[in-house]
Amino acid sequence: MKIERINAYFGRFAEWLLRLRWQVLAAFAVVIILSVIGMKRMVTETSFDDYFIEDDPMLVMTEEFKSHFGNDYYVGVLTQCDNHFTRENLTTLRALSNELLDSLSYADKVTSLTDIEFMAGSDEGMTIEQIVPEVIPADGSAEMDSIRMRAYSKPHVARKLISKKGDLSWIMVKLRTFPPDSVWKRQSTVAPDIVTGQEVEHIIKKPEYASLNPKGTGMPYVTYCKTMYIGKEMGQLMMIATVICIVVMLCMTRSIRGMIAPILSVVGGLFITYGIAGFTRMYVDSTVLMIPTVLSFAVAIAYNIHIFSYFSGRMRIHGERRRAIVETLREIGWSVFFCGFTTLVSLLSFLVIPIRPMHCVGIISSMSVLFVLLTSLIVTPVLLSFGKNKRPMEGFTEESDTRWTKMMVTLSYKVLRNPKKIGLSFLLVCVLLCIGLYRIEAAFDIERTMGMKVPYVREVMDVGRSELGSLYSYDLIVEFPDEDEAKEPENLKRLDRLQQKVLGYKLTKRTTSILDILKDLNQTLNDGDTAFYRVPDTEEQVAQELLLYENAGGTESEYWMDYDYRRLRLMVEMPDFNSAQVEREMERIQADAEAIFPNANITLVGNIPQYVTMMQYLVRGQMLSFVISILIIGVILMIAFQSVRVGLIGLIPNMMPAIFVGGYMGWMGIPLDMMSATLLPMMLGMAVDDTIHFINHSKLEYNRTRHYRSSIRRTFRVVGVAIVTTSVITSAVFSSFCTSACTMCVNFGLMAIIGILSALAADLLVTPILVKNCKVFGR
Amino acid sequence: MVDKEVKEVKEVKKVMIKKMFVLAACLMAAGQMGAQQLTGRDVIQKVKDRPDGDTRYGELELTLIKKNGNTRQRKVTSWAMDEGKDTKKMMFFTYPGDVKGTGFLTWDYDQIGKEDAKWLYMPAMKKTRRISGSSSKTDYFMGTDFTYDDMGQRHVDEDTHKLLREETKNGHKCWVVESVPVDKHEIYSRKVSWIRQDCLIADHVEYYDKLDKLHRVLSTHDIKKIQGFWTILKMEMKNVQTEHCTVIEVKNTQYDLKIDKTLFTVAKLEKGL
Repeated sequence: MKIERINAYFGRFAEWLLRLRWQVLAAFAVVIILSVIGMKRMVTETSFDDYFIEDDPMLVMTEEFKSHFGNDYYVGVLTQCDNHFTRENLTTLRALSNELLDSLSYADKVTSLTDIEFMAGSDEGMTIEQIVPEVIPADGSAEMDSIRMRAYSKPHVARKLISKKGDLSWIMVKLRTFPPDSVWKRQSTVAPDIVTGQEVEHIIKKPEYASLNPKGTGMPYVTYCKTMYIGKEMGQLMMIATVICIVVMLCMTRSIRGMIAPILSVVGGLFITYGIAGFTRMYVDSTVLMIPTVLSFAVAIAYNIHIFSYFSGRMRIHGERRRAIVETLREIGWSVFFCGFTTLVSLLSFLVIPIRPMHCVGIISSMSVLFVLLTSLIVTPVLLSFGKNKRPMEGFTEESDTRWTKMMVTLSYKVLRNPKKIGLSFLLVCVLLCIGLYRIEAAFDIERTMGMKVPYVREVMDVGRSELGSLYSYDLIVEFPDEDEAKEPENLKRLDRLQQKVLGYKLTKRTTSILDILKDLNQTLNDGDTAFYRVPDTEEQVAQELLLYENAGGTESEYWMDYDYRRLRLMVEMPDFNSAQVEREMERIQADAEAIFPNANITLVGNIPQYVTMMQYLVRGQMLSFVISILIIGVILMIAFQSVRVGLIGLIPNMMPAIFVGGYMGWMGIPLDMMSATLLPMMLGMAVDDTIHFINHSKLEYNRTRHYRSSIRRTFRVVGVAIVTTSVITSAVFSSFCTSACTMCVNFGLMAIIGILSALAADLLVTPILVKNCKVFGR
Repeated sequence: MVDKEVKEVKEVKKVMIKKMFVLAACLMAAGQMGAQQLTGRDVIQKVKDRPDGDTRYGELELTLIKKNGNTRQRKVTSWAMDEGKDTKKMMFFTYPGDVKGTGFLTWDYDQIGKEDAKWLYMPAMKKTRRISGSSSKTDYFMGTDFTYDDMGQRHVDEDTHKLLREETKNGHKCWVVESVPVDKHEIYSRKVSWIRQDCLIADHVEYYDKLDKLHRVLSTHDIKKIQGFWTILKMEMKNVQTEHCTVIEVKNTQYDLKIDKTLFTVAKLEKGL
């Protein structure tokens, strides 16, 4: 279809809009009201388990693990005071420990200095009791000394509960398995792990526990803190983006309408999208919601600037409002629509990354762009139609230049005069940056992604790095072919060897398995002789000791050995982690376990293996999504310009943002994370807009003039200013990310600006040379 | 003369009928008064006083079922003897093989506050260990969903009882009694029992946790009279929060056997079956 025919359709659409403008506004208002109702039903999730799509092998393994051993999530609370062994502090610690058990909706069991299965025995009897008695003795009494002595009497117990100086203590809350999505979504819009984190926060911040300075950790708590932080950041980001939007549009259009229009487009785009997400109960990840939000601002400004800029030009020429609207939509409606279309298609390429937050970014961002686009093309023209006609500017014609258009024309001369210099400079920079691409690595650890400037990150990292606390954990499962094999002393001794080996690794802070119970039990049964802190000799001994443990009220064995006695669990806790190092260590631990248990099946589950798997998915998926978006955009360009050559040549300048952003990431050591992974395809989708505007208009001008130089010069004059303005403004909008304390947001903002400006440079410096030298529209 | 005698007989009959009516009315009134005065405590006392012989024998099959369907099975032979208000029990594991011969002796005291005595004998190590601890009373019995209290005889006054209503449950007329523990450290905050009026056995019991959420549910099945004593042959305890469940089946129950008192000693425990 010829561009002229498409333009005619847009002209007719504008006339229709003007005829029904009140109805259109009323329909828009109804849609927004409905969207607000839908938004209230929106469920946001940030749970790590929700990151994997259904049937993912990692998710299947995690579910299998949970069916045998329960929830792999836990909550940890670190308390800090001068000395825990005082009546006051022990009383407070007990109250905190009890409240965590009683008030957390999903608490299963608490282990703390005041609530522990402490095995004590003699030749006569054996008891599982508390270190701290019911009535806490007075400070300085012999009984208090005895409590301290008992707490440190078993080093393997003490190192999990109380620091050497007695100033730190660790409360571990095991959680019941969370209900499936289908169950909790019926009653609530908040995920169970976030509910747990919220409850923990509520408890530890109570004034009665302030003397112990409790600090939380564990995935539910970290997830909750992250959700709260992101929510706050998003509010701030929205505010800054709105201010930028208002200031920029006021300066550019010098009208209230110019200021309101992009805001209305953003409201339309985001409200309708989130409304649909609410009504359809779509998976929405709060961590990545910032991306569609700011993207909506950026595209809303871009689309409205194009509309306003052309509309103002027409008003200067003839001053007739309605006529100017029809001409605007007829002339640039298609370009704007086409730009939005390519952006949303490239965003959909995220669907190839098998991680749900990426799907969420893909779907929510594309929907936002689509609705921003529709609102800009429907509501903005209606908004512009209100008001009186103006007196035309005398002597102003299509050929008239403003100060800015003059500058663009000068630039076009310079570009056309120095094709070789420009081409070579770009080539050199690209080669240098391409080397950097190989240095990019993925990272999921909160220190590198969120950064230490974020208060909750600093707090949980402090806990993780303290003598007792931990931040991450994973589980190694040894699955034997037959039942009862897990009880065999030979296998338990192998587990002991493996546990010792894992403890030797740099990133391991602590390990726990059935051996902690069994060895302690064996020692207790043998008069506390430390020589018996070992695996019992026969299977019967193991079974009977475990029976004794159960009969004495012990309940923890089922966390570490499954019901069929086929599986053994080894939990490894880490203070924090380095993404690359953890991947190497896990491979070695898996290999060690396979060597020690040649006949058993070894699997690694938990947060860290999930992180590693996700990093691999992200690296592979990001490449694939980028390639797919290039292919799709290439095909769209070919179809739109009805030429394979134009399509292929149009792709060249659009590779620039990818090379610039990728190179910058590699050279500056910025990791690939959930946010940065979305950047390249998004940049491609946005950068192509300028190329489309440029090629589209130069083709139009070439059809008129049949002369490359003059058509390029006229293109610079007509669309050059709009291209530069939109790029500068979108950069300004993305710069709002840089106000955040969160590293990944700052990086995202910076790299988005680099991407947008490199795309602008390529479109102004490289595209004209390619159009002219390759004679893309024929000779 | 005859008429006079007949008249007298008739008078006597009238008086007797009157007296019988008065007596019946009194009995009914007394009965109604009794029913009105029946308290929750009376019902629980009735349950506790239900005859069950002086000695008992049974073979127990314990099946522990996890949420994912995996099961663990244990088999135990059990002897019990009443000594006044106290009960002594001896159990020996017969299945699975690796715990076969393990013996468990308990002395269950009726006196409030007196800790029950428990010993476990482990043949693999030839060791006996007395199990004690302040928390053991509220702990679960052998990893099942039953606590030691559920398995044993809890003193009536360890809870305050309230008769809520009478209703028919599973086709049986029941008293519904709510019991709240006196000691706040108990595993439940309250329990509601449906006590069958015909056999004085709980048909259904609901246990609520400290947050007053339903925690465990006991249901009894196959209640039969053996040697004139009402006997539960199958009971099921389900933890509705974890979805873990325990089924106990009792086989070959016998009452009033001749059992030597010396069976319930540590020496006998170590000697084995």
